[in-house]
Amino acid sequence: MNLFERVIIEPFARLTEKVLLFLPNFLISLLLLAVGIVVGWLLKVILTRILRAIRLDSFFETSGMTEVMKKGGIEESLSGLLSKVMGWIIMVVFAVIAMRALEIPTVERLLERFLLYLPHVFASVVIFFIGYLLSNFMGRAALIASVNAGIKVSGLIGKFVRLAVLILAVTMSLEQLGIGSGTVAIAFAILFGGVVLALSIAFGLGGRQIAREYLEEKMHGEGEEDEINHI
Amino acid sequence: MEGAIIQEGVRQQIEAIGDAEILVGIPSFNNAGTIGHVVRAVQTGFAKYFPGNKCVLVNSDGGSSDGTMEVVKDTTIDDPNAILLHHQIGPVFKITTPYHGIPGKGSAFRTIFEIASALDVKACAVVDSDLRSITPEWIELLLKPVSEHGYDYVAPLYHRHKYDGTITNSIIYPVTRALYGKRVRQPIGGDFGFSGTLARYFLTKDVWGTDVAKYGIDIWMTTTAIADGFKICQAFLGAKIHDPKDPGADLSAMLYQVVASAFGLIEIYPHVWRAVSRTEPVPTFGFQYAVGLEPVSVNIDRMIERFRLGVKELSDIWNEFLSKDTIDFLKQTASPAKKFYMPDEMWVAVIYEFAIAFHREIINREHLLKSLTPLYVGRTASFVIETAESRAQEVEEKIEGLCEVFEEKKSFLLKGWEN
Repeated sequence: MNLFERVIIEPFARLTEKVLLFLPNFLISLLLLAVGIVVGWLLKVILTRILRAIRLDSFFETSGMTEVMKKGGIEESLSGLLSKVMGWIIMVVFAVIAMRALEIPTVERLLERFLLYLPHVFASVVIFFIGYLLSNFMGRAALIASVNAGIKVSGLIGKFVRLAVLILAVTMSLEQLGIGSGTVAIAFAILFGGVVLALSIAFGLGGRQIAREYLEEKMHGEGEEDEINHI
Repeated sequence: MEGAIIQEGVRQQIEAIGDAEILVGIPSFNNAGTIGHVVRAVQTGFAKYFPGNKCVLVNSDGGSSDGTMEVVKDTTIDDPNAILLHHQIGPVFKITTPYHGIPGKGSAFRTIFEIASALDVKACAVVDSDLRSITPEWIELLLKPVSEHGYDYVAPLYHRHKYDGTITNSIIYPVTRALYGKRVRQPIGGDFGFSGTLARYFLTKDVWGTDVAKYGIDIWMTTTAIADGFKICQAFLGAKIHDPKDPGADLSAMLYQVVASAFGLIEIYPHVWRAVSRTEPVPTFGFQYAVGLEPVSVNIDRMIERFRLGVKELSDIWNEFLSKDTIDFLKQTASPAKKFYMPDEMWVAVIYEFAIAFHREIINREHLLKSLTPLYVGRTASFVIETAESRAQEVEEKIEGLCEVFEEKKSFLLKGWEN
């Protein structure tokens, strides 16, 4: 065996052999990717039609979700958005399967970790989305209840409730992602406790007179209470 | 259905009574102080006006802890001479039972309907347990139009203080009248007479898990009777004087329950109210006379303050469903520089725009209707200012004027409903 064969021909033959061995996997992978794109696109189209047929958008409009999405800068309809998300999920799943089909150990290890982390990402997004909706709903409920109770700082109360629920949702969401799981919860507790303490001190020191009048009014009845029977 | 809500003990009582002709129901919750008078009035009414009939008194209680049910059981007519009775007083059957279901007046009524249905009664009535002005004549006036004149539903007609019944005067009466065409002056009066047939009909409706089970029951009964073609009339009962309102009663919850029930009924009966183009009076029983009424104190400044707070804080929410003209007007009205006044036209626009938003479910319905509270309080303040020097007749004319505006602008509701 001469030098030429050893240096050039043999490695080339091995490379060719490896390429030939890899080629079917690569083609399968490409095929899977293409199938994924087509299936994802088809699912998106079919799902959009189904969701529109069952009038999902009008349902979400009444529940206030559309309004929340618009406030968050999302102009697309919820049926369109859900269909796109489902389409993308299918494409990503097929892409993952396609990459596994390549049978490259490093890629496989990375994919394994990615796949294990994926449910956390999904849970985190869901928690944040529900928390965001809930914060708007509860903020509005608190605002209306405070206005009806005649509280002058109703706007502030509504915003505070909204923010508190939103912070709680973000905390839970970050915990799902494993970001500062303990720290975030503690920070939230400190922040929330601090606000309550600050309000207590402010009310205790600054509003002693108001507090006394309020309690007296509750104890002895409100002298100027209306006697209207509304019904 | 019956078995689900009538207790075994009550069932045995019903079996022992067999059939009855007359039934009066009294819903109650911690009314030991007033219910004795109501029970005496009912028993005397039975003795005076229905001596030959088998009469049953039903107390449907919401779990009172002050001995209300014991008061009902122990109350009797002490001295027949005092009520000028010359005939023998027959026994009055009494059933006292706690009701089941959502706590509220509607659930109490449901139990009364069930017992009425089980006893196959001919004529029924319900009266509030906190009434101080009820007399035995109320029993005659609420029941005889049914038992002797063939009516199915008897709504009450009272003389009330000009500031009493403001939800009735500013929303429920004008809306019911404009939509369904019958001038029933007190659609949510609280004391009604109805036939056994109508009681059974009410039971066929699946509404007992909604606001109808609470304060919504009165408007539901009246609207159902009108819209489903039952024969209706009114009975003049004199003055309505009852215990001072419960200080714990939440106005916005009450307003929500009543208005949600009224708006909910608009959705059930579009085929009825769309076809109505004019209104007509309903037959009225009873001799009408003037009565003296207890004064009602009103804190106008605080009411206006509540209205202004609402306009300041809730305009963003109202922007989603009120027209620009309405919002602009509300902002102008809230300005301290202007004399506080909310004209009928604007109030009618507010109510119809809320009704359309309720129909389209633009925002959560409870939020929507609870956000109406400051506007209602503002309208009440405006009404109080306007009628400060008015006599009862002038106030009635003012309410009549409001009803006419509701009727004139009905096309606006129709248009908004269909779009």
